[in-house]
Amino acid sequence: MKFSKEVLNMDAFLEVRRIYDFIHEMTLKNFKRKGAVIGLSGGVDSAVVSELCVRALGKERVIGLLLPEKESNPVSLQYGLKQADKMGIQTVKVDITDHLMSLKVYEKRDSVIKQLFPEFDHSYRFHVMLPQNLLEQDRLNYHSITIADGSGKSQTKRLSGKEWLEISACQNIKQRVRMIQLYYYAEKNNYLVAGTTNKTEAMQGFYVKFGDGGVDIEPIAHLYKMQVYQLANYLGVIQEIIDRPPSPDTYSLPVSDKEFYFCIDYALLDLLLYGYENNVPKNEISKVLNLEEQQIDRVFKDFKAKEQATWHLRQMPPTI
Amino acid sequence: MDIMGTIRNFVVENFLFGEGEQLKEDTSFLESGIVDSTGILELVAFIEETFGIRMADDELIPENLDSISNVVNYLQRKREALV
Repeated sequence: MKFSKEVLNMDAFLEVRRIYDFIHEMTLKNFKRKGAVIGLSGGVDSAVVSELCVRALGKERVIGLLLPEKESNPVSLQYGLKQADKMGIQTVKVDITDHLMSLKVYEKRDSVIKQLFPEFDHSYRFHVMLPQNLLEQDRLNYHSITIADGSGKSQTKRLSGKEWLEISACQNIKQRVRMIQLYYYAEKNNYLVAGTTNKTEAMQGFYVKFGDGGVDIEPIAHLYKMQVYQLANYLGVIQEIIDRPPSPDTYSLPVSDKEFYFCIDYALLDLLLYGYENNVPKNEISKVLNLEEQQIDRVFKDFKAKEQATWHLRQMPPTI
Repeated sequence: MDIMGTIRNFVVENFLFGEGEQLKEDTSFLESGIVDSTGILELVAFIEETFGIRMADDELIPENLDSISNVVNYLQRKREALV
């Protein structure tokens, strides 16, 4: 297929049909389960997957789990509930804050942050970001932490590798606790867990092993994020979710997927990932996307580095 | 030990588990997959601690960190600037 800005456009009707056949077949015939459980994050991926499950299995066979914690953006719960209400599915809300506290997640993580900012306490919010200048210059990925007090006054510091690993290990427990809850509700109802990882995330390793990556089926893992949006519009996902900037929503201070991981907006990122995956000549990509080949080289190096660092997420555990 | 040997030893011991025969001075850490982004930050911490300098954010670029010779050249430039 010739590379163009429209290369990711799909026939949404046919794609929806294909995916709901997949969900139907997998759930009822392969897994021999009676329905599906989905974690409703208030984002577009889980909204699309739940819409697809409703079409494939019927609304009576779909449960939406809402799994907020004290640092979640309140609109995530609000939008998740509104989307569930629109589809007419059963929902269960489990606040996972107590689970995380019992594992001392906040305590362990905050002790790392306090070493960097002694004044850090519950009145502060924080997030972690990568440098955003991927297209502009050759640079390396390093994580910076920003804390903000109640008045919005913020401070930023670079994290060492050790500090980032400890903060990240704590944050990842949030997704892993959610996975435990999803499997509890799935197993007790003889349902399966439907995952919500898209292709952009899968290729670049933007999910947590045995967290949001711990699922039974992945109905949209073959679709780039912008294709998920095409389905969201076709399926009638609520507008608030479609308009919301994609975010991991695991930090108390808002941060977008772009700021936290990808460093490029999805609209451009997906076209570049397509070019990378399909070995489209760089001069062709350059012409279509109006980028210099040097910029494409930088982005491809970043893709490769993330792909290499996360290869094990896409594999079963190696054996002899 | 000279700067080159110090950096080489750190990379071989920490990222290649002692098996550094194939590591050349100009081997790209990232392209060869020897060091990932977390590893680069370990390297930065090692450089800062061993050589008593602070690397600014805008110095965290491949030109300064992506091979043994890049690190050595960076440290030499840094020392010259301090003199």
